[in-house]
Amino acid sequence: MGALWLAGAAICPAGSPLRFNRDIRPILSENCFHCHGQDAARRKADLRLDTFEGATAVLEDGPALVPGKPESSALLQRMASHDPDEQMPPPESNRKVTPEQIALVRQWITEGAAYEKHWAFVPPVRATLPPAAAWDRQPWDAWIRSRLERDGLAPSPEARPEAWLRRTSFDLTGLAPGPTEIAAFASEVSARGESAYRDAVERLLASPRYGERMTAEWLDAARYADTHGFNNDSMRSMWRWRDWVIDAFNHNLPYREFITRQLAGDLLPEPTLEDRIATGFGRNHVINSEGGIIDEEYRVEYVADRVRTLGMTWLGLTMECSRCHDHKYDPVTAKDYYQLYAFFNQVPEWGEDGRLANASPLIPAPTGAQQAELALLDQQIAPAVQALPQAPAAGQPLGEVLAVLGRAVTVLPDPAGAGFRVERKDGKLINGAKPEDSAGLEQRVTDHPVLGPVFAFPAAAWTVAPSQFEAASHKAWTWQTSLRWRGGAGVLLSNMAWQIPVSSSSHGNGFEIRINAAGGVEVRMAQKWPAYAIQLEAATQLGTDRWHQIAVVNHGTGTAAGLRLYVDGVESDVVVHHDGLSGPVGPRALSVGRKEGPEPEAFEGDLAGFQVWPAVLPADDLARMADRQLVGLAGAPGGMAEALVQLERVQSVLLRHQDSTREAVQALRFAQARRLELKRSFPSVMVMADMARARPTHVLLRGSYDALGEPVTPGVPESLLGAWPAGAPRNRLGLAQWLTQPGHPLTARVVVNRFWQQIFGIGLVKTAEDFGFQSEYPAHPELLDWLARDFIDGGWNVKDLMRSVVLSATYRQDSKMAPDLLARDPENRLLGRGPRFRLPAEMIRDHALAVSGLLRERLGGPSVFPDQPEDLYKGVVVDADYPGTKWLTSTGNDLYRRSLYTFWKRTVPHPVMNVFDTPDREFGCVRRSRTNTPLQALTLMNEPALMRAAGHLGLRLLAEGGSTDGARLAWGFRLTIGRVPTSREVEVLTKILGGLRASYQADPAGAEAMLKSGGVSAAAGQAGETAAWTALASNLLNLDETITKN
Amino acid sequence: MDCHRYQNWGTRRDFLSRTGLGLGAAALSQLMGSSGALAAGGLPGLPHFAPKAKRVIYLFQSGGPPHLELFDPKPLLSERFDEELPASVRGNQRITGMVSAQGKLALQPSKYLFQRCGQSGQWLSDLLPHTQKIADQLCVVRSMHTDAINHDPAITLLQTGSQQPGRPSIGAWLDYGLGSVNENLPSYMVMCSVPSKGPPDQGLLSRLWGSGFLPSRHQGVQLRGTSDPVLYLNDAPGISRERRRLMLDGLAELNGIQHEASGDPEVEARIAQYEMAFRMQASVPDLADLSKEPQETWDLYGEAARQPGSFARHCLLARRMAERGVGFIQLYHRGWDVHGGLTDRLPVLCGDVDQPAAALVTDLKRRGLLDDTLVIFGGEFGRTCYAQGGANREKYGRDHHGRCFSLWMAGGGIKPGTSHGQTDEFGFNIVQDPVHVHDLHATLLHQLGINHERLTYRFQGRQFRLTDVHGKVVKALLS
Repeated sequence: MGALWLAGAAICPAGSPLRFNRDIRPILSENCFHCHGQDAARRKADLRLDTFEGATAVLEDGPALVPGKPESSALLQRMASHDPDEQMPPPESNRKVTPEQIALVRQWITEGAAYEKHWAFVPPVRATLPPAAAWDRQPWDAWIRSRLERDGLAPSPEARPEAWLRRTSFDLTGLAPGPTEIAAFASEVSARGESAYRDAVERLLASPRYGERMTAEWLDAARYADTHGFNNDSMRSMWRWRDWVIDAFNHNLPYREFITRQLAGDLLPEPTLEDRIATGFGRNHVINSEGGIIDEEYRVEYVADRVRTLGMTWLGLTMECSRCHDHKYDPVTAKDYYQLYAFFNQVPEWGEDGRLANASPLIPAPTGAQQAELALLDQQIAPAVQALPQAPAAGQPLGEVLAVLGRAVTVLPDPAGAGFRVERKDGKLINGAKPEDSAGLEQRVTDHPVLGPVFAFPAAAWTVAPSQFEAASHKAWTWQTSLRWRGGAGVLLSNMAWQIPVSSSSHGNGFEIRINAAGGVEVRMAQKWPAYAIQLEAATQLGTDRWHQIAVVNHGTGTAAGLRLYVDGVESDVVVHHDGLSGPVGPRALSVGRKEGPEPEAFEGDLAGFQVWPAVLPADDLARMADRQLVGLAGAPGGMAEALVQLERVQSVLLRHQDSTREAVQALRFAQARRLELKRSFPSVMVMADMARARPTHVLLRGSYDALGEPVTPGVPESLLGAWPAGAPRNRLGLAQWLTQPGHPLTARVVVNRFWQQIFGIGLVKTAEDFGFQSEYPAHPELLDWLARDFIDGGWNVKDLMRSVVLSATYRQDSKMAPDLLARDPENRLLGRGPRFRLPAEMIRDHALAVSGLLRERLGGPSVFPDQPEDLYKGVVVDADYPGTKWLTSTGNDLYRRSLYTFWKRTVPHPVMNVFDTPDREFGCVRRSRTNTPLQALTLMNEPALMRAAGHLGLRLLAEGGSTDGARLAWGFRLTIGRVPTSREVEVLTKILGGLRASYQADPAGAEAMLKSGGVSAAAGQAGETAAWTALASNLLNLDETITKN
Repeated sequence: MDCHRYQNWGTRRDFLSRTGLGLGAAALSQLMGSSGALAAGGLPGLPHFAPKAKRVIYLFQSGGPPHLELFDPKPLLSERFDEELPASVRGNQRITGMVSAQGKLALQPSKYLFQRCGQSGQWLSDLLPHTQKIADQLCVVRSMHTDAINHDPAITLLQTGSQQPGRPSIGAWLDYGLGSVNENLPSYMVMCSVPSKGPPDQGLLSRLWGSGFLPSRHQGVQLRGTSDPVLYLNDAPGISRERRRLMLDGLAELNGIQHEASGDPEVEARIAQYEMAFRMQASVPDLADLSKEPQETWDLYGEAARQPGSFARHCLLARRMAERGVGFIQLYHRGWDVHGGLTDRLPVLCGDVDQPAAALVTDLKRRGLLDDTLVIFGGEFGRTCYAQGGANREKYGRDHHGRCFSLWMAGGGIKPGTSHGQTDEFGFNIVQDPVHVHDLHATLLHQLGINHERLTYRFQGRQFRLTDVHGKVVKALLS
């Protein structure tokens, strides 16, 4: 607190009049509001100091605050008191006001004790700019210059063009410019001056690297990771959301839309696939799959995480403080909190989920290339379907058609190896029914000339033993039946076991095939329904009161992709609702046509020809059997009616079998199969969705999931932050509209401040995540407001903002720290110099890979597994073979991709990232620490991939650096730090090189070892020389300036 | 989460004189080497009062060791074998999803016997014969309790003071508050081991030794049981010690020139970090080099200590760290989540930890280190007094139980040869002197000379502390 105050004092312009927001509120907030703020439940002595009315109210001992009269104001007297019983804040609070602060409060009371509305809750306005001056390059530079002038300081000189280009390239693309690029830029600047700068910025903004660089920053805030977190920390697939972010930045999606789509893309009028992928933002939180946890407890955590993330990233409020009680500092009540919470409380999700895969809700999220391929196939398929005759050959009587078909599908035996079939043998029914049921069953069976025994449901329910149908999730099998459905949802086969309460770890375990109300066949396999389950549904819908042939084929992979649903011999497209089966579901007796448990269900219709094979049957076999069924039915007495009802099926069979269309149909079916295969390969992504029936939201007392307080409906703190937009829906979409309305006091400020922080290392408001009462007063309030206003009025244009900043005079200053400036303003809050700080983790590694030529650039895609110590997970990660518990090192190009694609395991992050201060992303984070540790030194010195970078950089210097040591050393400097070395630096470099050269030449074994470490080989007789250059290159990669943006 | 406000590594830069033109790198490194470059660096005003302990060794038993088999004998359970846990005892206790479907909560006695041990007559299980021998050094707390009944939240609460991730671990708070006394070693070191036999169960999470919202330099450094004991400590093959020195001298000189040109004090700090790294390359192998340990060491800690990565090895290394002034030494031994396999697995686990833990206490004592070293042995919660699965005299299991559990402490100003707190006859509820996790933290900090209410860090607009808004020092534990 002391430090903050000093910082505040440092940025307070000399001799300016006292301002409540800047000078007084921080003192009161830190020291008084905890007990005398807006939290009525904890308020002491009934005294409220956060409002003028409260502070001046006449209490038992008189008012705490008497404007103009410091001596009569108990507030001041208590602050100044040394009596432990009197003193405020009380000694046990461990808070203390300084004499300087007391003096300020005294002055404030003397001047009338005016309160101001908290600055951040007032919409930003464009203040009148100070008079322009030649130094300014953007209108807003005037704010910085005039402030420096007021403090008797002058801006630093402009940085050299080369330095500016390196700085800007890091800021806009995350990578440094190459020596050629720098040289070309320098000559362009001397040739055409300012326009060279503008062109360079346009080039950088247009580079796809721009999106990658901007995304790297957003991943922290959005708590992106490739694993679910918690003990099990298994793998998830959210990279398509990351791709979306990269794309959004590269296409300069207006930031208003960036917010809207991530918050509520699914609620847009006609959401595209990309809009829905964007909502993955709301699902990036950790998900717990520890067995035995209480489901609701964790579901509540996920909702709370969304509120927290919204507060941190866009509202700039520590919303989570109001989860258990009214906010201690900010005017946000627990009710406000739960109203906001209600927006995010509608997701159909479970607390325990994500053990092996994505948690629902999820969608298939094809990549651009996959979408193109799908479109191509659709373009082939649609006309091919059109081109086929739609009705039986003109004038041909149906009877004749059927005769043709009958010949075409002459009876072939069923595929061999059927494990089990229901049939009549020697007059006896073979069905696996328990003996005692058989008699009754017999009466409900009618024998059909084509289909054999037909069982009428619901009456004819029976049981299939595991010996007859081993319906295990991880075994291959095929099940087929003829089926006639009378409508309504029903169950065909089930052995789902239900446990009460539903939180028990074996709730809903088993296997089930059912038919939904619309006639779609659905398969469920679950370890624990619904979270650890597969649920997929056929898109093809059955008609009622006609015979169909359906089949389910399981490849035994335990995933949705291993299951195929066939209707009438044709594989159906499917919708996958869940795909997270957490382990094998074993065989158990199956009930046919009924389901036991708390919600019993039956099937209305007939089944016949029930068959099981303990293998995957080829699609051709299934088609043939379906054809035979249809033809048989049509040919049977009275079958003409059936054939007329099923004219489409008849037509389909005919087309497949008559010579004139056989080839075309085959080609079509091949394309259709390819299409389904393609769809199965689509990556999935978790998305936001709202339940059809709203889940009621209550205030949770003390934040506890099972302590329900008053009910609340979705809402926002309107009186504080602005009215709900007229006509906006009361859902996340409306929330996004409210958040991005032009008068919103916080959103644009918070966003602009974060981009500023990204570039200058520290925000105009240092507390980037908190703009509330406890935040720091902005270093340049008028500038922040100016930029926020510009941002809103200019259509939330991020590239415009970045362009404006990097071309500004403020940004273009040299970063050298003059001793007096450093002493006066160590954190550069006044911006009297350019930014200088260590690169973030991603850029450090990317830069090393880039200068060595190892970097392999490819935009987007799944996360990759670069080198990491093989035993890093040993003794640490969970003892189970979940995906994501083993690091399967990538090969080839994926070893050297940009760091934002490195697989992010929350519980054991990649050490190179971790050591350079990346957060673990269990929660969102908008400000990384920037430390300086010996472990960082060790990493840069020895990490194997960085050693290989040194090896390749060494080779590069030898190959393209010229023929002398001096030229090669200079080239090394130009590659790594973007400038030529000074003569003193050349001297030192030459000395190091000389030492290394002598050392390696005298030690061939050491030289060979070094080459191996560097992953390079040397020309004959050059081992010592190459080893020396490898070591020297390693030194270059370790230079402070190499890993610094300056 | 390593998220927090920007902070300079500022504390150690003062010793470094500005890198003048004439100051060569060798001189620079010599200067740093002699000046205790990275020692100290805590907060001003800490410790708040004279500490009783200078360091902590936390022998964390991850998974929930069963108090009823190890520390808290309950004869009544044998008398009422297989009876239902009375509803009046159970109260409104949450039952985990693992046994909520099980019809009966059948009382389950321990099949292992207990002895009164030492002068103090403490009850300790026959599963812990070596621990029995040091009974007079121990303070057994039988009235620990926690808010969580699942591993992740419970272990996170015990190690960071909050069930939810994001807070700094105990060791990170100490590093932040007290800094370091050894210029060559990190002040917060971590070692993880798995059972010698059987599954290790739950994974550990690096957040358990993370820095939370404190600057990430306060996070624990894991000492690994491999040839590279600290990540990237070993120089790559082909870089000899002499070459590394040559490279670092050159680097320091170039960075010195850069410091001069930029005026940025961070560059000085970086030079110092490289020197610390260089020293660690010697000090860590020295720490981990057990070749000079005499036979009696192996006799004391057991032959398992010869096995890299074993708990026994880690106990021995913990003693060596204590000797070298490492401030917070955190061990994890996994595998205690025995559930249905309690009787199969417990003997293995106790075999892994009993002798070395007792050896550590004995070894510290004879070296005069126990007085100012606080040793803690325990897990994140206990296990139920009813069986998971059915009750059985010989083969049984127990589920998680947070309402009471036991741990022991030794040294560091804790009263030796005592027991603290009492549970009911079922070992289900606490009937006397409950000690919450926050109280344990408050007490631990107190022994290190820290008022737990005054070790704070401002984050997201409020002052955070290890004990959140709770915790009281358990005075009865103090000698």
